[in-house]
Amino acid sequence: MTVEAPERASRGNFPEEEEYRGLLNRRTRNARLFQAASLMALTFAVLALTTLLYTIINDSFGLVAVVNENQPEDIVAGLGYDPAETSLADLSYDELVGLLQGAVSSGVGRRLEREQRFYEDRLVFETDAVWIEICSSDEPPPGCTAGLRDGANVFSLVQERVVVPDVIAAYELVPSLLSPEEFDAEVAAGFESGRFGEYTPDQVNIEWRAWFSMTFLRSPASSIPEVAGIRTAIWGSVWLVVITVGFAVPVGVGAAIYLVEYAKPSRFNELIQTNINNLAGVPSIIYGMLGLAVFVRLLEPITSGAIFTDGVPPAENGRTILSAGITLGLLTLPVVIISAQEALKAVPDSLRSAGMALGATRWQTVRSQVLPVALPGILTGTILAIARAIGETAPLILVGAASFITADPTGPFSKFTALPIQIFQWTSYPQVEFQKLAAAASIALLLLLLTLNAAAVILRNRYSRRAQ
Amino acid sequence: MTNDTTERTVTKETQQTTHVGTLDAKGATAVTTAGVIETQSMSVYYGPFLAVDDISVSFAANHITALIGPSGCGKSTVLRSLNRMNDLIPTARTEGIVRYHGENIYADHVDPVEVRRTIGMVFQKPNPFPKSIFENIAWGAKVNGFKGSKANLEGLVQEALEAAALWDEVKDKLKESGYSLSGGQQQRLCIARAIATKPDVILMDEPCSALDPIATLRIEELMLQLKEQYSIIIVTHNMQQAARVSDETAFLNVKLDDKGMRTGRLVEFNKTDEIFTSPKEEVTEDYITGRFG
Repeated sequence: MTVEAPERASRGNFPEEEEYRGLLNRRTRNARLFQAASLMALTFAVLALTTLLYTIINDSFGLVAVVNENQPEDIVAGLGYDPAETSLADLSYDELVGLLQGAVSSGVGRRLEREQRFYEDRLVFETDAVWIEICSSDEPPPGCTAGLRDGANVFSLVQERVVVPDVIAAYELVPSLLSPEEFDAEVAAGFESGRFGEYTPDQVNIEWRAWFSMTFLRSPASSIPEVAGIRTAIWGSVWLVVITVGFAVPVGVGAAIYLVEYAKPSRFNELIQTNINNLAGVPSIIYGMLGLAVFVRLLEPITSGAIFTDGVPPAENGRTILSAGITLGLLTLPVVIISAQEALKAVPDSLRSAGMALGATRWQTVRSQVLPVALPGILTGTILAIARAIGETAPLILVGAASFITADPTGPFSKFTALPIQIFQWTSYPQVEFQKLAAAASIALLLLLLTLNAAAVILRNRYSRRAQ
Repeated sequence: MTNDTTERTVTKETQQTTHVGTLDAKGATAVTTAGVIETQSMSVYYGPFLAVDDISVSFAANHITALIGPSGCGKSTVLRSLNRMNDLIPTARTEGIVRYHGENIYADHVDPVEVRRTIGMVFQKPNPFPKSIFENIAWGAKVNGFKGSKANLEGLVQEALEAAALWDEVKDKLKESGYSLSGGQQQRLCIARAIATKPDVILMDEPCSALDPIATLRIEELMLQLKEQYSIIIVTHNMQQAARVSDETAFLNVKLDDKGMRTGRLVEFNKTDEIFTSPKEEVTEDYITGRFG
């Protein structure tokens, strides 16, 4: 499009008609170029994220070739049912418990019963006399007080102890859907090459398996990948986030309030400010070193809980959730301070003047007028802190996250593992099943992160509405 | 109509007032009439810069005193020094004496929090708290240790809103946000908020500069009502406003020193009638007739 300009003698220092058209074209071209470049950057980012999600989902579901020690059909047939009509999952609670009784040793059975009972009115593996004795001892097992096992629990026990599946080959989601026959061929080729040892092809069941499932979320860690889960790691991560936030937010917001509301401009305060900004960039492994030296070693009496009890300390050393949580708290502290400072600085000074002019002290003004307005911003910082803390692995390895642990953490002085640690460990195992577990645990980690962030966002939105 | 009656009251009171005159550093000691606030050779520095120098004024009780002058002459600085709001600026420093009922508010033992409670302030831009209308007013009472019951507090809020001529407009929506009001209503809410802490003096820093003429008129009427109970000191850019509402007027002007630093100084302080009809200084006349500023 050309616009007819009225004839004028001269345009002064501005370019003449011809030259201006040329310049305009060049400017338009540049504008389009930069728009395209930014669109490409966005596309690249979205592609990368999609690939990541594709990979972990692709690995978390798919066909598996399983060899069962006892075929479910045989077990069902053994109870007098027709395997074509009844599956293992259709069996009653009593029948499942009966199967367990027949399959496990009495020692294992007693251990299971001490973890959690099967029946309210009778004992399956223990004798009444022994049960009363151990339940009245100083340290009764959890089974004395915990609720009863439910059907799903007993079914998974039967799977683990009676069927005893062994996954010998696993396929990814997309090829499983598109070309399931190729997996059969692959398994057959495996047998020909002797890769599956003493198993024979007729023992193999090809079935669907969701590595990421409710059972996976509910089961504790195990060295048997078919029954391994991440309950312990999830609780470890939740405890870590709670302690991290519980430490970093009060301390960080306090520091930010001092720096923004009270500190007078001085060399010293400038130095502190610069240091906080730099600390935000310190590699997390350095914080791990600090945590190891200070919380695990130096403050062991506190972090192991020894000074809080007269007798046996709750933990044998300082490698507890508390140490790890405070280490992550220190790691996220600069992020919390900086975002809280930004949030406080964004509160208009007119509110402070208004409060102070009414004869309120500075603290009254900050607490009642400034903080409520800054709260949404502070919560944004908290979200960032959660996101950072939940994914950190390096400092946890240094402060001693347990590599294999099946007991859920019960408090700040528990030994622990965390989701990223669990993923890290599984990926380092050679068996293909553990790679699948690692992918499934990644989904769990992302979901946990989303849940915690969503909670913080909801909280933030509620407060920012209230502040209007 | 209400306007007319109040105007008349003003004139009467102004006529009765005879004790106001120009004060200088030497004359201040000889002053016998007790103003509610008196400054003696007050100077304010921001860091190394002298913002206002040697201000000696006596603000009379139950009067409206206007501070006028061109931009940057330090009117607001003077005002903020009267209730130690300038202390909130880290680099600000006040020298000289500011007496409130004879006591120097800059003395070491004086807590600025108490000063601000007694000498309230209304700002240029309406700045209600992001809370309900009720809370906007009740908060000031609460932080100052209001001991009454809930009903007492409700009474206090109503009283303050009535005094600020806002009650009829907001009595049905006390729970709504202070931000839901119009600019003029917000400014009256801020005045009500200042009144609710039972101050003695109210400082107003260009309270109408962000408002339209009708809202301005309402605030001016309000000021004339309020001066029955409070002493009001107002900074204004609007010469007509100073002439309409104030009993005394202080004219400040900028002086450039040899290094080019701008320092505000008191040029003339007198009854408003005198300032506007027969100013003693030529520069005052130049300013009020609009020849500069």
